[in-house]
Amino acid sequence: MNENTPPPEPPSGQGMDYSEIADVHEVHAAVQREKREPRVGREPLSIWLIAVYGLAVFFGGAYLGRFSGNFSGEALDPYGGEMPTMKKVTGPQGAQPEAELSPHDRGKKVFAANCQTCHQANGLGVAGQYPPLAGSEFTTGGSRRPAMIVLKGLTGPVTVKGQKFGAAVMQPWDKTLTDQKIADVLTYERSEWGNNASPVTAEQIAALRKELANHPNSFTEPEILAAPEEDLLGGAPGGAPPKPGEAAKPGEPPKPKG
Amino acid sequence: MNATGIPLKEPAISAAAGDTEQFERALIDASTRVPVLIFYTSAMAWLILGTLLAGFVSFKLHTPDLLSDISFLTWGRVRPVHMNVMVYGWASMAGMGTAIWLMARLCRTVLRYPLLLVAGAGFWNLGVFLGVCGILLGDSTGYQWLEFPSYAAIILFVAYTLVASWAVLMFRFRRGEQIYITQWYLLGAFLWFPWLYAAGQLMLFVVPVQGVLQAAVGWWYANNLLFLWFGAIGLGTAYYMIPKVIGRPVYSYHLATIGFWSYALFSSWTGMQRLVDGPFPAWMVTASIAATILTLIPVATVGLNHHMTMQGYFPLMRYSPTLRFTVFGAMSYTVFSLVGVLISLRSVARYVNFTQASIAYSHLGLYAFFTMVIFGSMYYIVPRLIGREWRYGSLIKLHFWASAYGIGLMTLMLLAGGLTQGTGMENPSLAFSESVESVLPYLRGRSLSGILLTVSHFIFAYHFGLMLFGLGRKSTVPTFLNPVEAEGAEVAH
Repeated sequence: MNENTPPPEPPSGQGMDYSEIADVHEVHAAVQREKREPRVGREPLSIWLIAVYGLAVFFGGAYLGRFSGNFSGEALDPYGGEMPTMKKVTGPQGAQPEAELSPHDRGKKVFAANCQTCHQANGLGVAGQYPPLAGSEFTTGGSRRPAMIVLKGLTGPVTVKGQKFGAAVMQPWDKTLTDQKIADVLTYERSEWGNNASPVTAEQIAALRKELANHPNSFTEPEILAAPEEDLLGGAPGGAPPKPGEAAKPGEPPKPKG
Repeated sequence: MNATGIPLKEPAISAAAGDTEQFERALIDASTRVPVLIFYTSAMAWLILGTLLAGFVSFKLHTPDLLSDISFLTWGRVRPVHMNVMVYGWASMAGMGTAIWLMARLCRTVLRYPLLLVAGAGFWNLGVFLGVCGILLGDSTGYQWLEFPSYAAIILFVAYTLVASWAVLMFRFRRGEQIYITQWYLLGAFLWFPWLYAAGQLMLFVVPVQGVLQAAVGWWYANNLLFLWFGAIGLGTAYYMIPKVIGRPVYSYHLATIGFWSYALFSSWTGMQRLVDGPFPAWMVTASIAATILTLIPVATVGLNHHMTMQGYFPLMRYSPTLRFTVFGAMSYTVFSLVGVLISLRSVARYVNFTQASIAYSHLGLYAFFTMVIFGSMYYIVPRLIGREWRYGSLIKLHFWASAYGIGLMTLMLLAGGLTQGTGMENPSLAFSESVESVLPYLRGRSLSGILLTVSHFIFAYHFGLMLFGLGRKSTVPTFLNPVEAEGAEVAH
């Protein structure tokens, strides 16, 4: 270890006023006993440390190469894949990947974006606040009632699967979602979580939308129950009539007057 | 030789030369008394306030209804106040206090222009105070560690300019040819801070960048404040205190040079790794991750340098409070950096990013590393400013263990909690609220660690207060953690 540093030069007095303190020894016992100011040794670099440097540079560089997304300003995917939206713009068949999704999968997206906050991803809702969709007599019955609720919203107390709800209000979606999206999300809800009811088409929703055009505000439970328990009419694609939902309908809700 | 078998005292150099050196140091220490004590005292006051706020915030996380009816005591306001009080009130002021003392000593000249520092401290306190009031009244800007509203930020910047220009002036007046390693780091810190702060303020508030880039700027600032401001002051302080207390030269100049320059080069690229999977071009985030990996170079270098300096002298930590705190801090720096690399890798960040683990990381850097080093330096410096020794060795011990166990427990709790939370959020079949609830036991554990830290800070504040009022021991022997005489060791401190 290199210990031979030059002896400290005598203070030149520059910037020092030595008359300031009469007896240094009395005031600063700590200064007297402390070790001298730190010095620096000159030990050489260890070969192992250089190896560590090499490893860090190699690992860092490899990482940058692997996950840089080709240094494209538009690549969010660290593996260099292009963004789906970019594909859409580039090719004439851009809408292709979107169109390949089944109504059920499209509906899943709509559900995740709009419904999941309250009804939860598992469709079970929140006890006492948001009614479940899984196994709900409204969801799995004829498609008319759930479509009415989604289009115009629902307010006031409601009984689903024997439990009372009513703290929350469901907003109307007719202004926000297109016919196609409402049809998709209903199709999804009616066939997910063990539900097994008929799909819904955009044409059916469009017809219902026209029918309800003059209905100003949210439905209440009695109004919904007053509507016939049936699938929507109009624009049904070939093979709509079978209505598996109707057949599988368990615990029929108490039929209202009428 | 002595019981520990370590040469605890080097043979004195020539008596005359030693006397001159001592004389010079005594004068320099006396000249730093007022400014450094102003910084330290303010820092202690902010530390106590910040600690109380921290406990409050920590309890709010598992008892959210606690005083939530009062608007200025809501989580969204108290948490930024806690962070900013700790960052700008405690850590920055205490760090500047230590930096000022070290600058004067290492430039080997009495402290000039003390008024610059006194005014700087005054404005800094005013800035932090206004900022705290601003946040409590709802003026927070919403960017981490830049929450102070602009009227407070301006005052802070003015105060900072005063202190930094003092540092540059002092450097101009330095004597002797050698520029010691500590001075590199301190000068670096004094010049990097205005760059960070001005860039952050300009790009976020004066001429705001567009959209998500604001998050990039915000995290670049917060991360680099940790690296280039607190990190540089902390490392510089450790480079002085360790060789000083054990009386042995720093192991290697070459290691110090590489450690310093690679630190400066790679640190400034980090920050974006805190935004893995955010809506950014992949290369931006990856560049920061790669830079974080490259910070392993300065970490290994500086760590090795300190370790080799300390080698054979570790038993001295039994006696010297300064050495014990500083070495703990220097070791935590290595842990902090390794954790930083680990949680920034995409495969890990996927689980821990945006969870409590980020909070563990910040506390590792700001507390386990920086604050512990600064505590150590205060145990060294304050007796030299006041001419009294610390009154109770037992209180210092208690302070150390409460701090060490407190921050250790907090780090473990938050890292484990973060991992639990992250895996919960990754699991699509688990509702989001369940992933939040799974962290609750860890948050309660964190509150427990907060109580330990509160105890430790109150002990230190009490001890510091005794010193301030001249109630320390009047003695020529320093206060050791364990009786040196009984074991026959000779430690200078």
